[in-house]
Amino acid sequence: MNSWMTVVPILIMVLLSVGIIPLLIWMERRIASMVQNRLGPNRCNIHGFRLGGIVQSIADVIKLLYKEDFYPRHIRNRFLFLIAPVIVFVASFLTFAVIPFADTVTIHGHRYAMQALPTTLGILWFLALTGLGIYGIIIAGWSSHNKFGILGALRASSQLISYEIAMGLSLVSMILTYDTIHLNDMVAYQSQTFFGFLPAWGILIQPLAALIFVITAFAETNRAPFDVAEGESEIVAGYHTEYSAMKFGLFFVGEYLAMTASAALIVTLFLGGYTLPWVSTEMMLSSPDLLIGGLILGQWALFVPLMLWIRKNNLRRGVVCNGRERERHVLLWLFGSILLISTALLGTMLAGVIDPLAITLLSAGVQVGTFILKLFAVIVFFIVVRWTFPRFRYDQIQYLGWYILLPLGLINIFITAFAVIL
Amino acid sequence: MSDLLFYLLGSVSLIGAVAMVLAVQPIFAAIYFIIVLIALAGIFALLGSSFMFAIQIIIYAGAIVSLILFIIMFLNIQPKNLPKEPIKTRMIVISAALVSPFSFLLIRTISHTPLQLHPLPNDFGTLKSIGASLYSSFVFPFELISLLLLVSLIGSIILTHQEKEA
Repeated sequence: MNSWMTVVPILIMVLLSVGIIPLLIWMERRIASMVQNRLGPNRCNIHGFRLGGIVQSIADVIKLLYKEDFYPRHIRNRFLFLIAPVIVFVASFLTFAVIPFADTVTIHGHRYAMQALPTTLGILWFLALTGLGIYGIIIAGWSSHNKFGILGALRASSQLISYEIAMGLSLVSMILTYDTIHLNDMVAYQSQTFFGFLPAWGILIQPLAALIFVITAFAETNRAPFDVAEGESEIVAGYHTEYSAMKFGLFFVGEYLAMTASAALIVTLFLGGYTLPWVSTEMMLSSPDLLIGGLILGQWALFVPLMLWIRKNNLRRGVVCNGRERERHVLLWLFGSILLISTALLGTMLAGVIDPLAITLLSAGVQVGTFILKLFAVIVFFIVVRWTFPRFRYDQIQYLGWYILLPLGLINIFITAFAVIL
Repeated sequence: MSDLLFYLLGSVSLIGAVAMVLAVQPIFAAIYFIIVLIALAGIFALLGSSFMFAIQIIIYAGAIVSLILFIIMFLNIQPKNLPKEPIKTRMIVISAALVSPFSFLLIRTISHTPLQLHPLPNDFGTLKSIGASLYSSFVFPFELISLLLLVSLIGSIILTHQEKEA
């Protein structure tokens, strides 16, 4: 049990960071095509199983892995050229290590923190690693020996440096509010309510800080509308112009990792983290009947619409294809049996004597599930913003960062400090 | 284990520092400097002062050196623009000889300092304890330093500010 409870958060971290990247690529492409009124990738299949197009991103990954990995001849510092994408990847991957996925689990008197790295640094760790990630971009641009590369790296690094300040200021006001730098304590604070009925989520207490943080998070992850670093109409692909195959793949993956890490931090800081609104961990542990009943209801509420959607949409009128019919059958059977079996299991638990250990694990599971749902909601927001806003001009970005966000952040700190003292 | 880590981090930071001084191209000097700073942050972490570890990486590695690198890249220095240093090794040897008495003094001072025999308090090096000591016992110097920083900030803004009429 001991080693398992240490391994589980690390596994969740790997799953939520690297593991969901094929899913993210799929979401990005499908949402982009929804925004642009087309279908997006939906033909790639394994024996007729398309999974709505997810198979396409597996094919993409395989293609990236097998591409020829070559170095341009003018590269003088091969080591720096090679290490740059690795820095970007590692820095954004490690950011995940301090995100709490569930409340501290207590089993037989032992307390297990549900974060991959049980450090007390909390939010400072995030700031440190975003600072280190810049080096990957700078070194990539410099070692490419390419005008576009250097221009892209200059744009990216100046943007990151100037937005880091506004991000730090918004974080300072959040630290003042929560009175801690530990992410887990911040989430515990957010499970309270204020005015008697509103959950004390960061976005409701500190809307200004939330706005600043979300904008700076877009800029820090180099995503549209802040993606001037790779503005293809001006500087080809920016700092990764000279990169090919998996070296490019690491940049690509690193960008998605940075996006999920920022989304996870937004969830933890402003959207109540792993907590359900109005439900604290103690409430879950003290009323096991309600927990299991709620779990059964939540499962049905999630699965039934999904199954109805598959039933309706996996066939397209006028398209004759046996694979689609088979896929629909198998998926419906799969989801239906998962739903029925888990309902039966939970029902027997509800009927019999309830083991406290099982309740502890179940409530941790519910919290992880809540976290993942919120994470995906924020990621969808990121993607929709990317495909609906045009790219900013470069001077507009710097103007926004220095003339608007920085003073707003400072004012917000003053207001927060006054409110905290009073 | 922690001894091994200490020797590893210490040797990495020493080698990085020497390489930084010997580097010909400024961008390599900056990169070796980052390595030194990260190794130093690791030594802080070994000491158990987690806040210093984080601040070392955030401020020095994350902000200052990335600005230095940014400016080096902005200037776009070509190999032919670098100054010629024909007697570089000789200069380094002479300066090392000049500095050695001070290092001797430093080593003597450190080796004569009594070892810490009492266990450290539990909150050593954490954010709370550092903040409490900064704002209680060291308020006056702390505020003076912040004033100094403000003055230098305003000074640099005035120096770089260009009048429209000129």
